[in-house]
Amino acid sequence: MPITAEMRETARGKMHAESFSSRFKVFWKNVYRSLFRYGRMPRDAEGQSYAVFNNLFLHIHPVKVSKHSLKFTYTLGLGVIATILFLILTFTGIWLMFYYFPSATEAYNRMLDLRSSVDFGFVLRNVHKWAAEAMVAVVILHMARVFFTGAYKPPREFNWIVGVILLLLTLMLSFTGYLLPWDQLAFWAITVGTSIASYAPVLGEPLRKFLLGGDTVGQEALVRFYVLHVVILPGLMSIFIAIHFWRIRKDSGLSHPNENGSSARGGAT
Amino acid sequence: MREVNTKEVFPKNSNKTYGLMELVKGTKPTVGLQPDDMVFTWPHLLIRELVLFVVVAGLLLVAAFLFDAPLEEVANPNHPPNPAKAPWYFLGLQELVSYSAFAGGVLIPTLIVVALILIPFIDRKRIGVGVWFAKQRAFANGLFFTFLLVMLVLIIIGTFFRGPNWDFVVPWE
Ligand code: HEM
Repeated sequence: MPITAEMRETARGKMHAESFSSRFKVFWKNVYRSLFRYGRMPRDAEGQSYAVFNNLFLHIHPVKVSKHSLKFTYTLGLGVIATILFLILTFTGIWLMFYYFPSATEAYNRMLDLRSSVDFGFVLRNVHKWAAEAMVAVVILHMARVFFTGAYKPPREFNWIVGVILLLLTLMLSFTGYLLPWDQLAFWAITVGTSIASYAPVLGEPLRKFLLGGDTVGQEALVRFYVLHVVILPGLMSIFIAIHFWRIRKDSGLSHPNENGSSARGGAT
Repeated sequence: MREVNTKEVFPKNSNKTYGLMELVKGTKPTVGLQPDDMVFTWPHLLIRELVLFVVVAGLLLVAAFLFDAPLEEVANPNHPPNPAKAPWYFLGLQELVSYSAFAGGVLIPTLIVVALILIPFIDRKRIGVGVWFAKQRAFANGLFFTFLLVMLVLIIIGTFFRGPNWDFVVPWE
């Protein structure tokens, strides 16, 4: 129930007469209501609708979803897991940035610091690393799920393409991150990887030089990979994930066995 | 003169800044859904997302305490390891590169991406949507499954069966 001006007046009137604790309660209630207009735990249909509708973060969701789309055996939760992994990677990644330094002489020492002198630094690095590996696998499995359920067919063609872009971004994020520890594994994997690029006709060699900022993997390459890894690619990823979710809603939610008609146009839900 | 019905079907609601403008005939995927098929996002979807989050975060923490991310010697441009391997998801391509650099490094990856983008424009018939491995889609699913399987086999070969000079090795020896 929304607070009316009248109720606020009575609340103010009472404040003069009543104790500090009841004043505080009113104050707290006003603060709380300014944040969440529709009370605590929603219990009825109206409250449940408003809870999603009035919250920026929840508003990514539609107010209602089909039962079929909630079946774990249908999606295997893979898209949601990919999203969760991306969030965890963003969080741990920013945290790692406090300790990391993209310098060919310093980067490796920072890795050793994470193991020895930073509190729980090894957990931080390990979570980031395993989440990154998992994300590549989960995104590929999600693509397989979408294919095997025929969920790329009209009207979802465009979202499949957004998905392909997300897959490429995921691979590029993982690949650019690979160089940052600056150990033998990192250095030679990127040396091998970027030399493959140079086999492409015409564009290959310039592309490799552009990525590395020179002829070999060195300080310039490290800075370029770092900027790609912490700014450009995560930024693009966030934008394309937003488009992906927006499109799911414009395509009327997830694919469904009872979908009808071939002239589906989609629309707001 | 015929009386025009002036009463609105959906009267204006003065609490709203928007109103129903018109009804249009058309179809979209939700048309086939009965209201009974729909449930509220709060709590049905949100609780599932929360549970998944807790499970994923928990598993990652356990993995992080049990297994350390690899860290080798500091990078040394003068000492290439033999073999130098790409990250696991590129080892299938690296395996192909060992046969032909152009095919494995350029041609096949490009073809894969182009084919993926074209899929929904080639296969547009809306049958077998919304169920796993629909019978009507056996051919398409078989094709895609084969593709995934080939990539997986190549990755396994590249990861476990390739030693110095990219020679074939057996991992358990
Ligand atoms: C970072 C990578 C990705 C994220 C975070 C992501 C996220 C999601 C989420 C949360 C859903 C809702 C349904 C579900 O959980 O399965 C979804 C659906 C979908 N995704 Fe993705 N996705 C990603 C990559 C991909 C890829 C690689 C493809 C395909 C090439 C793809 C194509 C689709 C399509 C077509 C749907 C609609 C499925 C349906 O209606 O049944 N996505 N995605």
